[in-house]
Order: sequence, then C-alpha cells, then structure tokens
Amino acid sequence: MAYERIEVYSPHSLAEALELLSQKQEALRPIAGGTDVMVMIKDGVLKEKELLNLSYVPELNYIKETENKLLIGATTKYREIRRSPLVNAYTPILIEAVRQIGSPQIQNLGTIGGNLGTASPAGDSIPPLFVLNSTVKLQKLGGSREVQIDKFFLGPRKTVRQPDELITEISLEKMEPGSYYFFEKLGLRSANAISIVSAAGIIGLEKTTIKYLRLSLGAVAPTVIRATEAEEEATGKELNENLIHVVAKLASEATKPITDIRGTAEYRKKATYGIIYEALYKIMKGFGKKVEYGVENTG
Amino acid sequence: MITETIKKYNYINKSIPRIDSFDKVRGTLQYLTDIKLENALYAYTFRSKIAHGKINGIYTEDAEKVNGVKAVLTYKDIPALNGYGAIVPEIPVLAYDKVRYYGEPLALVAAETQEAAIEALSRIKVDITPLPVVHSIDEALEENAPKIHDKGNIARHTIVKKGDVEKARSSAYIVLERVYETPMQKHMFLEPEGGVAYIDEDGVLNVLAGGQTPYRDKIQISRVLGIPLEKIRVKNTPTGGAFGGKDDVTVQIHLALLAYKTKRPVKLVWSREESGIAGFHRTASKIKLRTSASKDGSLLSNEALIYLDSGAYQSFGPTILDVSIETINGPYRIPNYIIDANLVYTNNGIASAFRGFGAPESNFAIESMMNELADELKIDPIEIRLRNILKSGEVGPFNNTIRHAEGLEEALNRAKELFYRLDPSGPFQRTGVGIAVAIKGVGFGTLPEFPAAAIEIVPEGKVRIMFSNVDYGQGINTGNAQLVAEKLGIPISQIEVLHSDTKFSPDTGGSSASRSTFNGGGALLLACDKALEELKIEAASFFMTKSSDISYKDGNFYYKDKSISIYDVAKRLKARGKSTRFEATFEVPRYQEAVEGTLEVPHMVYMYGVIVTKVEVDELLGKIKPREVDFIADIGNVINPAIAAGQIEGGIIQGLGYSLIEELNYDMNGKPLNINYTTYPVPIISDMPFINAEFIKSYEELGPFGAKGVGEISIIPVGASVADAVADAIGKRSYKLPIVPWKII
Ligand SMILES: Cc1cc2nc3c(=O)[nH]c(=O)nc-3n(C[C@H](O)[C@H](O)[C@H](O)COP(=O)(O)OP(=O)(O)OC[C@H]3O[C@@H](n4cnc5c(N)ncnc54)[C@H](O)[C@@H]3O)c2cc1C
Repeated sequence: MAYERIEVYSPHSLAEALELLSQKQEALRPIAGGTDVMVMIKDGVLKEKELLNLSYVPELNYIKETENKLLIGATTKYREIRRSPLVNAYTPILIEAVRQIGSPQIQNLGTIGGNLGTASPAGDSIPPLFVLNSTVKLQKLGGSREVQIDKFFLGPRKTVRQPDELITEISLEKMEPGSYYFFEKLGLRSANAISIVSAAGIIGLEKTTIKYLRLSLGAVAPTVIRATEAEEEATGKELNENLIHVVAKLASEATKPITDIRGTAEYRKKATYGIIYEALYKIMKGFGKKVEYGVENTG
Repeated sequence: MITETIKKYNYINKSIPRIDSFDKVRGTLQYLTDIKLENALYAYTFRSKIAHGKINGIYTEDAEKVNGVKAVLTYKDIPALNGYGAIVPEIPVLAYDKVRYYGEPLALVAAETQEAAIEALSRIKVDITPLPVVHSIDEALEENAPKIHDKGNIARHTIVKKGDVEKARSSAYIVLERVYETPMQKHMFLEPEGGVAYIDEDGVLNVLAGGQTPYRDKIQISRVLGIPLEKIRVKNTPTGGAFGGKDDVTVQIHLALLAYKTKRPVKLVWSREESGIAGFHRTASKIKLRTSASKDGSLLSNEALIYLDSGAYQSFGPTILDVSIETINGPYRIPNYIIDANLVYTNNGIASAFRGFGAPESNFAIESMMNELADELKIDPIEIRLRNILKSGEVGPFNNTIRHAEGLEEALNRAKELFYRLDPSGPFQRTGVGIAVAIKGVGFGTLPEFPAAAIEIVPEGKVRIMFSNVDYGQGINTGNAQLVAEKLGIPISQIEVLHSDTKFSPDTGGSSASRSTFNGGGALLLACDKALEELKIEAASFFMTKSSDISYKDGNFYYKDKSISIYDVAKRLKARGKSTRFEATFEVPRYQEAVEGTLEVPHMVYMYGVIVTKVEVDELLGKIKPREVDFIADIGNVINPAIAAGQIEGGIIQGLGYSLIEELNYDMNGKPLNINYTTYPVPIISDMPFINAEFIKSYEELGPFGAKGVGEISIIPVGASVADAVADAIGKRSYKLPIVPWKII
C-alpha cells in the first residue's frame, strides 16, 4: 500500500519529451493511457517516482499511410484505431484484436504503444503486429532506430527499448487484397478478460492453394511468437482438413506455455491447436473474414 | 392446496419500480462509506503477512511517534472480550497468541491524515514464528496435520441418521458412490467493507457501516467494548451489496474500538484488495455421497460424508453445516440416511455466509447424483425426481410435515416442456441440456425468531415503516412498502421506509436466509393490525359510536355514510398525547425441536426451484457457454415480479460464475492469489445467457400475503445443472466446480 508522491512531467512536444528522458533515463517512466501504469502504482510495484506523461505530445498521435504501409503513432488510442478508415481498410486484422481489448473504458484510454511497452505475452494488439510484419520505431534525443516486431520483445515485460528511448511509431504492412485473416482470443469470460491463448493469422489463397500463411500466437510463450514451421508447412499446399490438422499441430508444438490461475500449460497447447483449427476450418468453408479493399467486385 | 385463492391485489403482484432507484440512478444515494465526518480520523488495519504462526511480539512504539497518529491499538487495548463470531465468538478482534490466516488483523491505526496512518502502518513491527500452513480440507484431516486450534482441526462434527442404511443398500438395485467438490467463492460486492463511527452528544457510540444484521452487530460490539447495548447505535443501510459477506461483523468492531479509544469520529474503508484478503468467502466443500435406489429409481438410502472448509475460524460455519445437512437429502423421500458432517479448520481466510448458505455445496452433490442415477437407470431425469419428491402432508426425512409441495411438482412438469437441446451454433459446438432441483428453508429453522416491526401513521399524510432488515440492493424496502400499501389500501407514494437503524427500527433481525419478506413483512402486517385496531377505537370516539360499528377501507374509516381518513384519526390521537407508532412482534412458526445432531434442522417453510440449463461446449477449446437458462420457482405469492425475477437472474449469473470460472486460490504460504476484479473474474453482462424466470402460482398461509422468500433459491441448483448439461453435450461428467475449460478437454 505505497502512498508516495509521484512527480509527473507533461511535455508539449516530442523534442521536450526526449530531452527529459535523456536527462533522467530510467528514473523516468513513460505513461500514455496509464491503464497499466496506474495499476502498477496502485499495487505499489512501480519503482520510478517520476512519470513522463505523453498525453500532450502531439507528434505521437496519428494514423498515416504510405504506399505499402500504415504508420501508427505510439500514443494512438484503441478507440481511434477502431474508428480509423485506414486501419479498417488496410489492416482489418488489427481491428479484430483491438475491439476485444478490455472494455470501452480501457479502449478510450489505452494506447498501442502502451501495449508494446508493457510487453505482456498476452497483449492483444501484438499477435496482429507479428503477422503484419511490423516494425517499431524507437527514438531518442538525436537519433532513432527501427526494430522488427519479432526482435522487439526479450521476455515477459522485457523489450530492447533503452531507458532514453521512446516508442514513437509502429509501421504495419498493408494486407493483400483478398487475403483472409483471423484474430481469436480465449479468455475466462466473454469480454474484459486476459487472454489464456490468442492467435492471429493471415492467409493468401489462390483458389484453394495456400500462397502464404502467417501465424502468431499469444500467451503461450514468454513473448508472442510466430509459428514459422506451421507457416512453412502450409505454403503451396491445398487447404484441406488434413493440412489444417497438421498446421494446428505444428503451431501447438511451437508453444512453450506456463500453468497459472488462468489455465494449465497442457490446456494452452490443446487450445492453441483448437483455435488454429477452428479459424482455418472456417476460412476453408468460405466463412472467413476477407480483406476487401482493392478487390474488384465480380459478383 | 391453495386455500386462499390468489386475489386481485392493488399494490402487490405488481412490478412497481424500486423506491430507491431514483436516488441510485442519480447517484444521490449516500452509502455509508460515502459519509465524510468533520474532524474524522483515518483508520487502517495492520495485517499479518504470515498465514499461520505464533505471535512473539507486536511493537507499536515507532508507529505511535508518527506525527498525527492518534491511536495504534493491539489486543492489549480491547476492554472486554477479544472475540466475535455470529455463532461462537472465537474470532479474535485483534490477534494475540497466534495468527491463523494471511491478512489477520494485528493492529489498528488512526491518524489525522491518510499519509500519517500509512506511515505508522509501515513502522509497526511484529515477531511471528511461522508454523506449517494447512491449505485444504484434506491437509487438515491428515493424521499429523498442524493443529490450527488447540482442540484440533475439526470445528464441529455431527452425525444425523434415520433408518438402516446398510440394510437398504444391500437390497438396492443400484448403488453409486461419488466425491463432489466445490470451491471457495468470493462475494465481490461493489462496495467494500467500510463505514464510520463517532460518539454523539448523548454519549452513544454510533457505528454506521455496511452490514446485514444491525442488532447482532450491536451485541458483538457491546461484548468487545464492555459497554451496554443502549450506548450503541448501528446503522447498516444502504449497503452496496452483501450476499452474506457482511452478515457477520467486518469493520464494525474495529470502528467502534477506535472511536471509543480516540473519542474522535473515525472512518475505515477496506480497499478492494483488503476485501479480497480479509473479507469472508463461501465454504469450500468436499462431499462423499453413496446413494442407493431401486430399479424404478426410488431412493432407498443416502450416505453422506460432508466436509466444509471453515477457514481459520468459525463465523457461520456451524449453521452453514446444518443447511448442508438439510440439503443433502434434497426434496426427496429418503427412508434411510446417515449424514456425517464436519466443519474443518484450515488457514484459508474465514468462510462465512454466502447466498445459499451451505445449500449450493450439498445441492451440487445430491442433484449430480440424481442425474447420474437417472442416466444409469435409463430413466428420464425429470421423471426420477417426480417419483421421489415428497408430497404435501408427508413426513420428510427430518420429521417435518411437508407443506405445499405441489409447487415443485408443477415446476417439474413445466420443466418437461423446456427440457431440450439447442441447435449448435457451429461445427465444433456440442449442445447439452441439464436439470437440477433446489430446496431451501426460509429463515432459521427451529431457532426461535421473534421479529418486530413498526409503522407510524404521520398525520401529515404519510405512513412510516420501520424494520431492521437491511436493503443491500435486493429491494426489501420496496417489497415491504408494497405489503403495507396492500394491507392499508394506501398508495406506495404515501409510504416512507426508514433505513434499517437501531435508533428507531425495532429488532426484526437481519437480511439473510431469504427471511426478510417473510419475517419483516409478517411483523409489519401485525403492526398494521395493531394500528387499525387502535385507530378504529379513536374513529369510534370521533363518530360517537362503538368500534364494532366502524369499518376500514383504503385509508378511511367508515361509519354509516360518513368517513374519516386514517391521517385525521391519527391527528386526533396525537392531539391527545398518544403515540401513532405501532409496533408488533411476529412469532415465526417453527418446529420447536431440532433434529438430533443439528442446531436448526428442519425448516417449516421451503422455497423450491427447478432449473433447466442449456449450454454449448466448444469441443476443441473446452469453452462452455451457457446459452439459455429456465428457472421455475415456487417462492409463494410474488410481491414484486420484477424484483423477484431480478433475484432469480442475479442468483443464476452468480451461480454460473461459481460453476464455471470463480475460485479463490491460496499459494503454498497461504497467501490468497485472487483478491480483486482482475485476478478474480466474475461474469459480466456479456456472459449473461437468456434467462427465463417463471413463478408457480403459490400461496403460503404462514407468510405475508402468501409470500415465502426468494433471495437464495436460484443460485443453489446452478452447479449441478451446468455439470449435467456439459455431460449431455460432451459425455463427460464433472464432479468438481468450477468446470474450467482445462478440466474437460
Ligand atoms: C481493466 C483492464 C483490462 C485490460 N484488458 C486488456 C486486454 O484485453 N488486452 C490487452 O492486451 N491489454 C489489456 N489491458 C492492459 C492495457 O490496457 C494495455 O496494455 C494498454 O495497451 C496499455 O496502454 P496504455 O497507453 O494505457 O499504457 P500505459 O499504462 O500508459 O503504459 C504501459 C507501459 O508502456 C510504457 N509506455 C507507454 N507508452 C510508451 C512509449 N510511447 N514509449 C515507451 N514506453 C511507453 C509505459 O512506461 C508502461 O511501461 C487491460 C487493462 C485493464 C486495466
């Protein structure tokens, strides 16, 4: 029951924010929506006594497009993402995930940068970012770098971010017109639940042949993972029940889950199989979700 | 038999809006934890971080030195008895020789500011030698188990029996033996335990804190402080949810002690996490059941070995054990039985009252058993029940003569029409349907109850009603207002309900055991009779005639073609210096003697319910989705259908949480793991199945306008019906709640 004074710095520009961070380094904890940080404060587990409030940094809140990519500023809120015509058109798989995060209250405050900063293996925006081959932009005073999403996380609550860096942007590949996708999340209840298992997938089909498959899994390993063996197995094959079984099995074998109050390790493996099987089965049967933009209406 | 045909009523059988809803919707209702008293001290509790240990010393000197700290109290500061507990006062107010659960209070701090109080908390030092922790019923029963209390780990053991089970079993066609387990469940009310206390100008110690039974709180405070009852006032209403978790004392004694010692107003509110750590929970159970039947499904014998986990102390444990005994035979004709019932100590917090009070635990066992017997004997599960339920006038297993069992039969017959599987919503979904029956006594069984209530006819045009049943959200204030409105024939708008408060509410007892309508309403109707009798005489004096010539209807007294309103009569009475407040006591009908081996078995009046649960199970994910739930209830005459349906629905969703996702867990050191809404998920609105609540037309002559009770009945059979539906869907029976996905795939 910590009851301590916390200083909050609220810079009004990115330059000012980076300047503060370079001075104070790990003494300063960034806070965006605060939906994770405030919980840590209340639980008395936040080490830092000073917060860097990013809410008034205008440069970090945007959704833009380039020819092949979408660029999302780190402090963009889930609500803004859900309402964005760009995200809905080009990366609808992210919408699928975001609408299942927490509750409307959480979506009104929570940010995508915060989800990355928290680096929970159960973070729900992360599996889509994996299959969208995203990169994370880290910026510090006088420099920046881009890190591929699968190199960004080091473990639960651990990332490659250095104390003087801010997450400023996430860039996502636009999905291919006509590709299918899914995001499924399994929780103990129907909403506002922490994922026991989650999975995201994008599949490019040429008639019934799989051109490519991208699969990622959440809450079943120290970080979100890509199921690369399953992906490779599927490439160039016919989408049928047998293949779905093999792919789901490979995905399940790729997991390294733990047992906790939200589920046993064994169950997480079985459920991984189930989630992937059901999602691909749905697509095979023609009930999958499809990327619509740019698809000529032939009907 | 419905002896009094159900009439057309003016104010009951009506879904009038709850009288407190306007204030609640506007946010203007002041809960007791909202109260801000001038000059109040902030109080906090210093709790043990060791679940089981011997206390060598508690050192408070450093804490006392903190600027602004007005009191740091330990067991040494308790003026009289250092103990409380609704049945046996064995729970230390502040631990002294041992700590027996993680979070047990060791000291109290009160200070001018929150900061000072928290600083003081951090400066209290304790020296405790840890002892091995007892985590479960099984561990508590081990031969060399560490003793939690000097007398050992069995708080209560009793055997109740009838007939010859050996003989019955040996001649039976089928004998099934199963072990059933249910988890500890948290109440998770929205308003955590808390309130304020102060000493007023008259030297009375006022304790205003969320609770369920103000007069018992008063007794418990008085014992600890050693001050007379007249010097204590307790107010419990409005309370933001309770479900049994505020029936025994939570903060009341600590508040009283601090105000008494500091002579200052004090505020003490537990955080959500404190509520999670130190608040009460439902008893975990382990029940071994061996039941035998003939080929046609007639029950021949029932042998039950019941263990309930009381946690570190007994709160309501002994009477919860009684209800579990009474429930284990269901509403069935069981000629031979033996029930070996045990209340067990562990280091798992303190178990106490929770909606259903031992009945959901036993119901899960007997109703799961009935479903499996039906399966094995290839008899329809409704049919097997119809063959075994007791009929009106029959003598039940606990020597009680059964009243009004037609309701249950009718409900079962209605359930036949609702008992079907839904169509699966997808290729991996399997659907199933399950059934269970519930029975629950209203009130305290054979324990004597003499609830009192009062009404005051206010000449200005109001009828004020007073009783000590607490409205913690279940709507008793509205229901009781409707009863009085009906009785006096005056509109609800003229009725003012005073919140339960020992300052002016007579002792009606508390809100628990689905008793408030029956007992509170019963007493209020008698108070109305008293009022009318007295006012009739006054009306006679007004008309210069005799009272037998006066009639009363809808707020007016009549003599020939003349009339005078009840308020004008009250005005005359008052003008003559007489009181217009009338109080009456209801002698609750009961059996005088408890069955040997029990404290309060049997009850005289029972509620009944039949539940049909339709689920869908994802066979690859093990995810169970309750899609539709039908509940057919016999609760007597229904005073307010909307409120009653709300109680049914609330009980069902709370029961679904209990059946599917909720479970309080402790780690190896006896520390609770799920102590808030993040770590202890409860169902939310999107988890609600479609619920169809139906009420059997029924009338219990012993209750007010034929009413029985409603609060607990619907949660009781949920577990067994869910387990049955899941078994129907995937062919796998569950004997342990909650049925989380990883237990079924
Ligand atoms: C009730 C509730 C329900 C929830 N449900 C879900 C759910 O269903 N799924 C899910 O994934 N999460 C859920 N969460 C967690 C949380 O809402 C998300 O992780 C959210 O994305 C965090 O964003 P934020 O802006 O609030 O982060 P903050 O709390 O502000 O920060 C989170 C972390 O990221 C760091 N950080 C934030 N921004 C930056 C930046 N620009 N650069 C560097 N570091 C930064 C912070 O220092 C901190 O370590 C829930 C939380 C609550 C309270």
